Amino acid sequence: MMNRFVGACLFAGFALSSIAADTAVQVQFDAGKAGPRQIEPLTERGVLRDYRAAWISMAQALEANNPDALEGLFAGDAKDWLRETVANQERSGVSQRYSEQNHHLEAVFYAPEGDVMELHDTAEYRLQILDGGKTVSDDHVSMHYVVLMTPGADRWVIRQLQAVPRF
Amino acid sequence: MKIILPIILIVVTAGLMVIGLTSVGQTHGTVGIAAGRAFYGLTPKSTTPEQALNNFLADVQRRNWDEAFAGVSKSSGGDEQEFVQSWLGSYGSLRSFSNLEGFDSRPVHITDNDAQMRVRLHWSTPVGPAEDVRDFHLVKEGEVWKTVWPRQEVASVPAQVIPVTYLRWDLVTGSSSDEWGSRNMDAPHVRIISMNAVDTAEGAVVMGEVVNEDTIPAFVVVNAALVDGASRAIDEESSFDKIAHVLLPKQVSPYRIDFPNLTLKNVKNVRMDVKATLVPASADPVIGVMNQKLDTDPQGKMVLHGDLMNESGQTVNIPHVIASFYDNNGRVVWVSDGYVDRALLPQASEAFAVEIPRSVAANVHNFHVVVNQYSLNRS
Amino acid sequence: MRILKISAVLWLCAGLAAAQDFRVPENAVAGEDATISTSGGGKATFYLVGPGSARKADVALGEEIRIGGAELRTAGAYRVVMCAESCQSASFYVSAAKPFSLAFLVHPSRVPVSQENAVSGVALPFDRFRNLVLAPQNVTFLLSAKNTAPLSHSGRTQDGVAWFRTASSKAAGPVQLFASVEEISAKRALQQVASDPCNLRINGQRTAGGVIVQTDPVHDCAGNIVPDGTVITFTATDARGKDSVDAPVKQGVAKAKLEAAGPTIVSAASGVVMGNELRIEAQR
Repeated sequence: MMNRFVGACLFAGFALSSIAADTAVQVQFDAGKAGPRQIEPLTERGVLRDYRAAWISMAQALEANNPDALEGLFAGDAKDWLRETVANQERSGVSQRYSEQNHHLEAVFYAPEGDVMELHDTAEYRLQILDGGKTVSDDHVSMHYVVLMTPGADRWVIRQLQAVPRF
Repeated sequence: MKIILPIILIVVTAGLMVIGLTSVGQTHGTVGIAAGRAFYGLTPKSTTPEQALNNFLADVQRRNWDEAFAGVSKSSGGDEQEFVQSWLGSYGSLRSFSNLEGFDSRPVHITDNDAQMRVRLHWSTPVGPAEDVRDFHLVKEGEVWKTVWPRQEVASVPAQVIPVTYLRWDLVTGSSSDEWGSRNMDAPHVRIISMNAVDTAEGAVVMGEVVNEDTIPAFVVVNAALVDGASRAIDEESSFDKIAHVLLPKQVSPYRIDFPNLTLKNVKNVRMDVKATLVPASADPVIGVMNQKLDTDPQGKMVLHGDLMNESGQTVNIPHVIASFYDNNGRVVWVSDGYVDRALLPQASEAFAVEIPRSVAANVHNFHVVVNQYSLNRS
Repeated sequence: MRILKISAVLWLCAGLAAAQDFRVPENAVAGEDATISTSGGGKATFYLVGPGSARKADVALGEEIRIGGAELRTAGAYRVVMCAESCQSASFYVSAAKPFSLAFLVHPSRVPVSQENAVSGVALPFDRFRNLVLAPQNVTFLLSAKNTAPLSHSGRTQDGVAWFRTASSKAAGPVQLFASVEEISAKRALQQVASDPCNLRINGQRTAGGVIVQTDPVHDCAGNIVPDGTVITFTATDARGKDSVDAPVKQGVAKAKLEAAGPTIVSAASGVVMGNELRIEAQR
C-alpha cells in the first residue's frame, strides 16, 4: 500500500515536471526584419508554434534518450545529428536536460517563394549533463543559433540548427 | 400439449414463407439467387397489368431470367440473351456493377387490352443509390398480361483502326538522390473562378467553377468551410464527385459542395480551399456533348438532356455528366450531375439527362456541360 | 594546534595541486582533429557532448585528449566536462569547413513567359559534412535559355544565404539555371510556358450533318504557341440546342466536329479566354 502511494507520488511528480518543462519554454518571435518576402501572420504563428514544439521535443529526446520524440519537427541534417546524439548518449550512459528555456527568435531571411526561412535564436536555458542519475554539469547558458526552417506538409520543420559564437 | 407447439410453429413458419415469397417488389429484393423460382406455383397469375409488371420486375430483381423473359410479350422482338444483357449491362458500364433494389409503379393508362405503367426503379450502384423512371407498355395476350420489351438500339460501329494522337502526361518522381532542392516540382496552379452560396430545402450549397491555369494536368479537390461571425468553422465539406477531378490545361470544371441540414443564416464567411496535385493523364478520349437542351420530362421535372458522343477509339465505361447553370449575369446558380449507366462505345453516343430544381430553373439563362469519365483500361 | 594548522595548509596545497585545468580548442573546424590539453595529475572522467556527439572516457590528467575529426564533423557548440574530485566544464565551437556543395532552390518549375520577378532562386553553401557555411562566399547565378543571351547575377552570401529574382523571358522553352561558389556548382531546370491564349480565332466549314471547327494556331500574346493538351471548348448553338466539345490542342491547333442544322453560332473558349464567334448556315 505504501509502495503504491510512493509510486503514485513519483509518477505524478514526473508528469507534473514534464508539464512544467513544456510550459517553461518561452519563445518570442520578431518577424519584422525578414526579407525579401514578408512573413504572413499565419506563417508567423506557425513558425512560433512549431519552433517551440521542436525545442520541447528535442529536450525530451535528449533527456530520455528517445529519438522518436524528434519525429515530425526536424528534417534533414538537424534530424540526423540529433538522432546520432541520442544514440551516442545511450551508448555512453549520458543524457542532457534542457530547462528554463527562453528563446528570442528573429527572422533574417524568408525566401521569395516561402520555401525556406533563416532565423537567429538568442537562447538562454539551463543545461544539465547527467551521467546515469548523477549531474556532472549544471550551467545557465546563453547561446546563439542559426536556424533553417522549411515548410512541411502541415508544419514548419527545423532543417539546420547550428550554434555559433555570435551572429 | 407436446404436439400442439410444434404444429403451431410449423404453421406459422409456412405462413411467413408464403407471405415472404408472394409480397415482393416494394421494399428489398433478393439479389444473386440462381435463376428459377424458389417455390413453383406460388406467384400470382398475371391477370392484371399491375400484377404482370410486379411479377416481371420481381423476376428481374431476383435475376430469374427465364421467368422474367417468359413475361415478355412475343411482339417485343429480340432474344433472351439481348433481354438479359439490357438489364445486366455490358462493357464494364455502371449497370454492370449495379443491383435493382426495388421499384414503385403506378398506372398511366389502362384499357381492356393495353396498359402503360410508370415505374420508378431503385438501383444500388458503386456511386450510391440511383433512380430511373421508365414507362412500361403491357398488352393482354389471352388470359394474362405481358410486358412489351423494346429492343435496345446498339450503335453499329464498323471495324476500324483509330490512331491515338492526343497528348499524354506521365509523372516521373526523380532519382533516389535526396539533394535539397533537386526534386522541386510545383503543384499545378488551379484557381477558383467563381463561388456562390445558396440555401436549398436540403441544406446549404456552395458552388462555382474552378480552372486549371497550368500547362499540365491537375487532380483537383475543392473544399469549403462555413464560418460564423466569431471565425469558428461551423462545418467543412468537400466536393466529392460533384467536380471533374482531373483537369487538363485550361480546362474549367463546375463544383458543388453540399452542407446537408445547414442554413446560411449564421454563416458570415465561406472559406474556400482548392488542392491540386500532379497526376498522370491523357487528353484522350474526347467526348462531345450534343443536342443539349432544357426540357420538361414526362414527370414534369426540368431537365437538361442531350447525347454524349465518344469521338475516340476507347470505350468509356462509366461516363459522368456535370452541368453548371448560369443566370443572365453569368453567375453559377446550380450544378447538377448524373451518371450514365451504359458504357460509351467508341464512335458511338448515349443519352444523358440531369435534373434542375424547379426553384432554380426559372433563373437559368445558359449552361455548360463537362464530362468526367472512368475507363477500366486507363492507368 | 600548530600541527593542525600545518596539516590544513598541506591539505589545501594538495587539493590545489590536484585541481584539474584544461584548455579547449579555440578555432575548431568541422572534420578536423582537435586536442584538449589538461594539467594536473591523477585520473578524471572526461565528457564531450555536442551535436551528434556524446562521449564519456577515463583520462589521465596532464596528458592531451585527442578528439578525432569524425567526432567534430557537425558544426556547433560542444561542451567538455572534466570530473575528478569535482567537475568543471567549458564550451568550444566548431565552425563549418569550406564549401563542398550547394543547395539550390529554384521556383517555380513552370513559369509563364514575360512575367516580372517570376523566377527566383536561393543558394546555400554547405561543407562536406552538411554544415551551413556562414562565412561570406561569392556566389554567381547564371540563367541560360534558347535564343536568349545568358543572364548572370553575382553576390555574396549573407548568413549563409544568397538569392536572386528575375523576370521570365519572352520565349517558351526550357531554361537552365546554375549557381556556383568557386568550383562548386548546382544546376536546375525550369520550363517557360506560353501564357494564356491570346486572340483565339476559329474558322469553320460546313459538312454533311454539321460543322467542322478549327482554331488558328493558338498563341499567347508574346507569340508562343500554347502547349499541346491545352483544352479549347467549342460550342455550337442552333435551334435544336447546344453542342459542345472540349478538344485538346495538337501542334498548336484544336479541332472538333459539331452536329448542327440551320443557322448556327459557333464559339470557342480556353480557360477564361473567349475567342471569336462564327455564324454558319449548317446542313443536316
